[in-house]
Amino acid sequence: MTTTVRLERVTRRYTIGAAETRALDDVSLTIGAGEFTALVGPSGSGKTTLLQLIGCLDRPDQGVITLGDQVVTGLSADQRADLRLRSIGFVFQFFALVPVLTAFENVELPLLLAGVAAAERRARALGLLDAVGIADRAQHRPDQLSGGEQQRVAIARALAPRPLLVLADEPTANLDTANGQQAMEIMQRLNRELGTAFVFATHDPRVMHYARRIVELRDGRIVADRAAVAVA
Amino acid sequence: MSIARLWHLAWRDLGRNRRRTGFTIIAVALGMALLMMTNALIAGVVDDSLQNSIMLRTGHIQLRAAGARDGELSVRWRDLLLDPGPQAAQAAALPHVTSATPVLWTSGMLASAGESVGLQVYGIDPAAPAYDRLRAALRRGQFLAADMRDGVVLGESLADTLRVDVGGQVRLTVADSAGVAREAGFIVQGVFSTGIPAFDDHAVLAPLATVQRLSDASRRASAIVIHLDDARATGEVAAALDVTGMRLQTWEQLNQQVIQTMRSASAFYVLLDAIVILIVASVIANTLLMSIFERLREIGVLLAIGMRGREVLGLMVLEAALLGAAGIVAGLAVGGAGVAYLATIGISIDRSVAGVAGDAIAISNTMYGRAVPEVFAGLALAMLAITTAAAGYPAWYAARLEPVQALRGR
Ligand SMILES: Nc1ncnc2c1ncn2[C@@H]1O[C@H](COP(=O)(O)OP(=O)(O)OP(=O)(O)O)[C@@H](O)[C@H]1O
Ligand SMILES: [Mg+2]
Repeated sequence: MTTTVRLERVTRRYTIGAAETRALDDVSLTIGAGEFTALVGPSGSGKTTLLQLIGCLDRPDQGVITLGDQVVTGLSADQRADLRLRSIGFVFQFFALVPVLTAFENVELPLLLAGVAAAERRARALGLLDAVGIADRAQHRPDQLSGGEQQRVAIARALAPRPLLVLADEPTANLDTANGQQAMEIMQRLNRELGTAFVFATHDPRVMHYARRIVELRDGRIVADRAAVAVA
Repeated sequence: MSIARLWHLAWRDLGRNRRRTGFTIIAVALGMALLMMTNALIAGVVDDSLQNSIMLRTGHIQLRAAGARDGELSVRWRDLLLDPGPQAAQAAALPHVTSATPVLWTSGMLASAGESVGLQVYGIDPAAPAYDRLRAALRRGQFLAADMRDGVVLGESLADTLRVDVGGQVRLTVADSAGVAREAGFIVQGVFSTGIPAFDDHAVLAPLATVQRLSDASRRASAIVIHLDDARATGEVAAALDVTGMRLQTWEQLNQQVIQTMRSASAFYVLLDAIVILIVASVIANTLLMSIFERLREIGVLLAIGMRGREVLGLMVLEAALLGAAGIVAGLAVGGAGVAYLATIGISIDRSVAGVAGDAIAISNTMYGRAVPEVFAGLALAMLAITTAAAGYPAWYAARLEPVQALRGR
C-alpha cells in the first residue's frame, strides 16, 4: 500500500504564559492510501492538533511531515494552501459551509479556486451532491438545510477536488445517531468507491465501528494503533 | 487569480448585514454628493466671479499706454492713450470682438448733501455693447447717453449710502492730470444693481467726454477695453491687434488677483475634499473590519479549503470596491440632483459675505454651482481608490491569518 501521509517524530507545543502543553509529543505515524482510520482518545489528547498538522493548517515545532511525496514542513503559506486545495479535504464538527452560498456553490467553491472549467465544475459538484443524497437540495442555502444535510454537503465539498485524503474532526458530534450513521456510511462508501483516504477524530464508539484502523492518542502520544473489523 | 470568479461570494457577503451595508453605502453616497456639490459650487463661483470681473471691469483684452502701471488710476497724460478712437474702431472690426471701447478711469470722491464715498470713476461710451449688461441691471431711471454732460449712474447700494436717488444731486471730485482737485455737480440718472458688491458700492459711471473734461484729459483714455464672444479667442484677437506704442493685457493677466484668490480658496476645498474622503474611508475600513471579525471562522474554512491569503485579501478588497462603487453610483445620483439645484436655483448669500471677499473679487449675491464632469469623474475615481485602499488593513489582517487561528475565531 502506498503511503499518503508520513509523520516522523512530530511535536507540537503550546505555551500559554509559563505553562507548556505538548499537544503532540514525538509522534510518528503513517497513513496509507485509501485508509479509513479513526483517531480516538480522551479530550485534550491531541486529535485535533494531529489533524491540523496533517492538513497543513498548522506547523509542527519539530519533526517532518510528508504528504504524498512532498515534505510539507517548510513549505510557504501559499504552497500549503495549494496543497490543501488539491490534496486534502476537510470536514469539521461545525458544518462549516459558507452561509451565503448554496449547497451547489459550496461544493463548487474549491473547484473554482482550483480553476476547473465551468462544465466540469458543474458535473462534479452535482455528481457529488447526488452521491451524498442531496441532489434535490442543490440550490438550498445552508440555513435551509438540516444539520445532517449540511454535513453531507461538507463531505461532498471535501471530495470535490479529488483529494488524496479527507480529514474529519468529529464529523458526527453535532448529529443525531441516525444522521451520524448516515454520514459515516456515506464516507465509508466514498472511501471504497473513490479510494480516498479518510482520517477522522472521534469520541463516539459507534463511529469507531466504521474504522478499519484505530489510532489511539493519550497526552499527545500514540498509545495504540490497531486494525479493526469495520462494520460493512 | 480566481478573484474575478469569486465576485458572487463578495456580492453576497455584502448582503449578510443589509443594514450595515446600507449605512456604509449611504455614507459613501453622501460623501460623494457633498464633494460634488462643493466642487460644483467652487467651480461656479470662480467662473461667476471671473465672468463678472471680465464683463464689468477688465474685458477680455485691454490696450493701455505703454507706460501705464497696473491697477493705477492715474490720469497723468503719459499714462493715457492719446487718441483711442481709431484704434478702438480697428479692434471692433476684428472677428470675435463684440465691443471695443475707450474708457477713462480715475479715482474720485462722490458726495451728497450728507455723505461722501471714495470710489472709482468710469468715463465710458454709453453706446458700447460692453455696457449692455449694466444697462440690463438698471433698477430705476435711465442709462447714460453720450450727450448727458452732467449725468451719472451708480449702484443702488452706493445710492443708499449717499441717500440719493434718481434725479438727486451729487458732487464728484477728481484729481486732474496735473494733480489738482476738480469738482463738478451731477444729477443721478439711473441706479443699477449688478448683485456684485464690489461694483455696486464703489463705482460711478459718467460719459467719457464728461470725465475727460473734468480731469483735463482732453481726448485721452486710460484704456481700450475689448470684449469677445469667446474667451478662448483671446490669443487670436491679441495677435491681430495693432498695438504699436501700447501695452496689451489679457483677461488672465488682468484678473490675476481673482484667479490667485480663487486658487487659494480652492486649496481649502481640496483640504475639505480630503477630509470627507478620509471619513468615508474610515467608515469603509470599519465596516470591513467588523465583517471580518464576525466571520473569522468562515475565513478559516476558506483557508482550509485552499484559498490563498492573497485571495482572501482580494475577496475583502473586492467587497470594499463593490461597497464603494455602489455608494459612488448612489452619490452620483444624489450629487447630480444637488448640482442641478445649485446650477439653477443657487444659494443666496448675504451681501456682507459677498463684500468680504474684497473689491478684487466680484462675487455675486447668489452663488451658482456649475457641473464639472471631469472633476466629478476624478472624485469618483479617488473615492473608489480610497475606499478600496481602506480595505487594505482589514484585508491584510485577514490574509495573513494562519488557518488554525482563523478557525479558532481569533
Ligand atoms: N491554541 C491552543 N493554545 C493552547 N493550547 C492548546 C491549543 N490548542 C490545543 N491546545 C492544547 O493541546 C492539547 C491537545 O488539544 P487537541 O485540541 O488536539 O485535543 P483533542 O484531542 O482534539 O480534544 P477534544 O477531543 O476535546 O477535541 C490540549 O491540552 C489543549 O488544551
Ligand atoms: Mg478536538
